[in-house]
Amino acid sequence: MSDAVLEVEALSRRFGSVVANDHVALRVRPGEVVGLLGHNGAGKTTLVSQVVGLLRPHGGSIRVAGVDVIADPATARRCVALQAQAQAPLDGLTPRAAIEIAGRLRGMSQADARSAARALADELDISEWFERRATPDGGGLSGGVRRLTAFAMAAVAPVPLVILDEPTNDVDAARRRRLWETVRRLGDDGAGVLLVTHNVVEAERVVDELVVLDRGKVVAAGSPSQLRGTSDRDLRLELSLHPDGDDPSAAPADVPIPIARRVRVGRRVLLTLSAADAEAAVAWATTLRSNERIEGYALAPVTLEDAYLAATADAAADSTATREEAAHV
Amino acid sequence: MSEPIISTPPVRTHAGVPERTGMVTIYKSLLRWTMAQAGAMLPLVIVVQALLAAGIIIGFGFLIPDIDTHSAQFLSTGAPTVLVMIIGLVMVPQGVAQARTSGTFTYLRALPVPRPLLLLADLTVWLAVALPGVVVAVVVAQLRYGFSYTFDWPLLVAASVLTAVMATAVGYAIAVLLPPLLAQLATQVLVFFVLLFSPITFPLSQLPAWFQSVHDVLPFRPAGDMLRAGLLSDSYTASWQDLAVLLIWCVIGLVISVCALVRRA
Repeated sequence: MSDAVLEVEALSRRFGSVVANDHVALRVRPGEVVGLLGHNGAGKTTLVSQVVGLLRPHGGSIRVAGVDVIADPATARRCVALQAQAQAPLDGLTPRAAIEIAGRLRGMSQADARSAARALADELDISEWFERRATPDGGGLSGGVRRLTAFAMAAVAPVPLVILDEPTNDVDAARRRRLWETVRRLGDDGAGVLLVTHNVVEAERVVDELVVLDRGKVVAAGSPSQLRGTSDRDLRLELSLHPDGDDPSAAPADVPIPIARRVRVGRRVLLTLSAADAEAAVAWATTLRSNERIEGYALAPVTLEDAYLAATADAAADSTATREEAAHV
Repeated sequence: MSEPIISTPPVRTHAGVPERTGMVTIYKSLLRWTMAQAGAMLPLVIVVQALLAAGIIIGFGFLIPDIDTHSAQFLSTGAPTVLVMIIGLVMVPQGVAQARTSGTFTYLRALPVPRPLLLLADLTVWLAVALPGVVVAVVVAQLRYGFSYTFDWPLLVAASVLTAVMATAVGYAIAVLLPPLLAQLATQVLVFFVLLFSPITFPLSQLPAWFQSVHDVLPFRPAGDMLRAGLLSDSYTASWQDLAVLLIWCVIGLVISVCALVRRA
């Protein structure tokens, strides 16, 4: 048997005629942080819902710490700590009480839960609100502190698999960084972490592996550098088109430099090129701009976001596609 | 901002399945969680119950000219049942419908706990919210009409608890069976049915025969009669048939609720 803490194979799930997960395969090993990226409605939350036994798959298999989730969902849930995308029900509780309860539910002693809660509050810099009670209708604690508390509730007890669904929503920049450090620590402590997000830039800093979902299918998977797929010396030339303007890079013959990858996202065109061609690229783009064929341009190092957009470009071009999956989960 | 000193506890992450947490620990932790959420509204609910009790006992009294002691006793000893029913069949479904809309229901179902314990913790808290209604109604009636009760304590406690559990379980079941908006609508209809069309605060003989037999299988009249027998034990007696009807409704409500909690869509 494999040593993976999460092993998803050929997972399929439909909502009526919409295929939310289409033969999805992914694996999280102990100590590894795996990012699950995708646009809204790509099928990320559907996948998570199946892992924690809220939805039953229509095909394929899921194993968490060796436990078959479909056959024994209750045991599998004990192996998973989930920070859901929806806010945790904290009304009437202080962050301290909420984190302690989460620890107690996972079998920690009162003393261990208390010290772990305190340590996490320090780690995430929410001690200021540690004893403040959340009140109904969003009172008492801000959305960011609630989100950090929910994260701490998922991180408080050692479990084989931690799933974080958009953990940094509403969280300020300084505490975001602390949260990512804690995510990294969870991995270093031996847990497998599945990080569900559409924030590619943030994910890049923390993940070991990435899986990109698009319309329910895995369209790319690998380490960040594998996904970038280009050498570190590659650059990205971004052309901003006029509204309804022609794309001057549409015909390869019109582009005077070799282009490794071309992605169009709305009015932006992202061209990947070698650093050696930078000068020629800038000259070409400057000409385009002075001829008013483009609004502007920018030259920057290639990022994971470029690779992500390339992998999901078909979806961006077809933005009218029906996405009903989000409404079901 | 100064960097705090971070003292991370020793973490022991095992790749294997974590130990099962004790049921009592889980139940107590869930109870603490649920109680914290309901705690803020508890005093408010008791005030509302007092107002409702006053409305039923004093307000309905105005409908009966020259009310005699017998009628006043009948009306007053039906009021606790109405209050408990309103909590169970109106407030519980509204609370559950809100939890479903806000995502709380899903959040709780994803926790590493046996899901029936979620219901048990909820039931416990709603019981704590509903049962003061019995006391409130008894006190209001005493203040208004000044008659004396003949309590059958074991029967009174058993009937109150059974009625509250039944109403909460059925209310929970309504909320998990129907879409949230429809559930809230259904509760409004139920209030009218319980208040005006159920022989709880007026004698069964007031209703046409066919409707009387409908109330033999619905839980409202049996609950009312059992509670009344606990309050005025010298004039009224509880029947085994009423007990059976209440128990059956209780089981139906619990089974539907547990199924909804355990089910994977």
